[in-house]
Amino acid sequence: MIGNVIKYEQDNIDTDVIIPGTYLKIHDYNELATHAMEGIDPDFPSKVKEGDFIVAGKNFGCGSSREHAPIALSTCGIKAVIATSFARIFYRNSVDGAFLLPIEIDDITYQKISNSDQLEVNIEKNEIKNLTKNEVYSMKPFSEIIAKIIAAGGLFKYKK
Amino acid sequence: MTETLFEKIWNSHVVVERENEPSLIYIDRHLVHEVTSPQAFDGLRLNNRKVRRPDLTIATIDHNVPTTDRSLPMIDETSSTQIKTLEQNCKDFGIKLFGINDPNQGIVHVIGPQLGITLPGSTIVCGDSHTSTQGAFGAFAFGIGTSEVEHTLATQTLWLEKPKTFEILANGQRKNSFAVTSKDIILSIIKKIGTDGGTGHVLEYRGNAISDLSMEQRMTICNMSIEAGSRAGLIAPDSKTFDYINNREYTPENYDNLVDTWKENLMSDPNSKFDKSFTINVEKIEPQVSWGTNPAMVSDVTGTIPTPEDYGKNNEIQVESAKKALAYMNLEPETPIVEIPIDRVFIGSCTNARLEDLKDAAEIVKGKKVNSNVNAMVVPGSQMVKHEAEKLGLDKIFKDANFEWRESGCSMCLGMNPDILKPGERCASTSNRNFEGRQGSGGRTHLVSPVMAAASAISGHFVDVREWC
Ligand code: SF4
Repeated sequence: MIGNVIKYEQDNIDTDVIIPGTYLKIHDYNELATHAMEGIDPDFPSKVKEGDFIVAGKNFGCGSSREHAPIALSTCGIKAVIATSFARIFYRNSVDGAFLLPIEIDDITYQKISNSDQLEVNIEKNEIKNLTKNEVYSMKPFSEIIAKIIAAGGLFKYKK
Repeated sequence: MTETLFEKIWNSHVVVERENEPSLIYIDRHLVHEVTSPQAFDGLRLNNRKVRRPDLTIATIDHNVPTTDRSLPMIDETSSTQIKTLEQNCKDFGIKLFGINDPNQGIVHVIGPQLGITLPGSTIVCGDSHTSTQGAFGAFAFGIGTSEVEHTLATQTLWLEKPKTFEILANGQRKNSFAVTSKDIILSIIKKIGTDGGTGHVLEYRGNAISDLSMEQRMTICNMSIEAGSRAGLIAPDSKTFDYINNREYTPENYDNLVDTWKENLMSDPNSKFDKSFTINVEKIEPQVSWGTNPAMVSDVTGTIPTPEDYGKNNEIQVESAKKALAYMNLEPETPIVEIPIDRVFIGSCTNARLEDLKDAAEIVKGKKVNSNVNAMVVPGSQMVKHEAEKLGLDKIFKDANFEWRESGCSMCLGMNPDILKPGERCASTSNRNFEGRQGSGGRTHLVSPVMAAASAISGHFVDVREWC
């Protein structure tokens, strides 16, 4: 996976800024996507490109259990959110519905990655290559369980 | 081997368990609401699946219902469609629905307990993070996403990684137990452990300061467990718990026998090991007011707005986030909390809109008037709460003081229906999240207890409610 970084230097980016409550009535994914990140960055849907990554601080996706949050991001084209930590429900929602990959990195890696950097993410090797800066970082490996759900393509395809 | 309460509930619900794999957990109760369920039902239809246990599934409409006169047609078409969709889905799949005009309609986490659906020792899920509320009954109750809603509908089970356990020990006696509420206890806890302090854990609240609380106060505590990032919150059931559930509409027939087994089993064994522990003495806790944009950004009512540097303690990201929060909230460091004027007051939500909350707030409001600069409303958590409050004449107390008295629902807790803040408006709110835009784009939320909200409505700014009682 290769894509460009949209970086938010913030902790606790919550589900109400990812997709404000008033849009939860919307059933159509494409319409939902036009409001993604509206709470902190109204230009997000126009600047994001297919395959981009969001990079952010800790506790990304805290708050509600709305699956609309990963759906809105993924419909915009986001393939992975790379953060120092995630809120549990957002993490599971992202993986369960196979919407996007929640990738955990350490603080140092977080600081090294800048807005607009081009990254290549390799989950088999647990490796992130920064093609812009010519650096290589490691990501926190997925737990066995999560890796299996990801490999299966979501919770429903995950069979025992 | 000793076991914690959580481990006991978990172990009694495991269907499949293998090493380094998620466990398949049986789900006793599934609550459904209109916002997180439509895609799940679509999924069932697409794959030709049925709801496996419609008898264990219960639905209500709460997030986007209007709280004004419900005999009038709904203005918001998308909300109306979402509501009709749930009605149709419940009909098609044979699920009991407490619809918009049902006397049992209400916020999903309020109606479970008041109907006797929430039982100790059970596993309860709902596509909503504040399902943790029901942990107050000694149930493992947690929020799930829509894919998991679909999985539960189809199989009545879920694949879960076993969470770790986190003991929150609360000791001591509150100084003024009317003015210092369980909301102040939980805000104080989140202030200390942070919004991600509980990530991956189930919190078990223990200690005399917890057992002293009524069931409704305990629900406020467990409700906000999720604001500390945890999977769920738990309190071991006791006689208060068993009395609360007795004689409700859905209380099981063999209730006394159930109580006997619960009494024997549902507690953490003496000396059982928790993965983490945190102790708090409630004696020094004051009424709390949040000043920022997450529920850990909280001050004592006698305190001031912190400087970003004091708040962040050398952590640059924290300092920055406090700066950003203060800019959003339009607040200056070192302003005394009691000098902050407010425009709106919202007494409602699954955190603080049960009968006791309304009774306590009414006690403060009685015979007084809402400040002329403030617009205040009370939104009962359920129609049943509303009805009981009206029997006690609380509606009259609120209305006489110029509070609006509304129909039940989530309302201004998340601003999905027309009850929202205008940009720049500042609100004292009894809800649980003060995120940017949560109560309406540009709206500024301060989280407080019902008595603090009531007293602030009268004064037009925050006040130390302890001086009133
Ligand atoms: S009252 Fe608020 S927090 Fe509770 S379920 Fe409704 S929207 Fe969620």
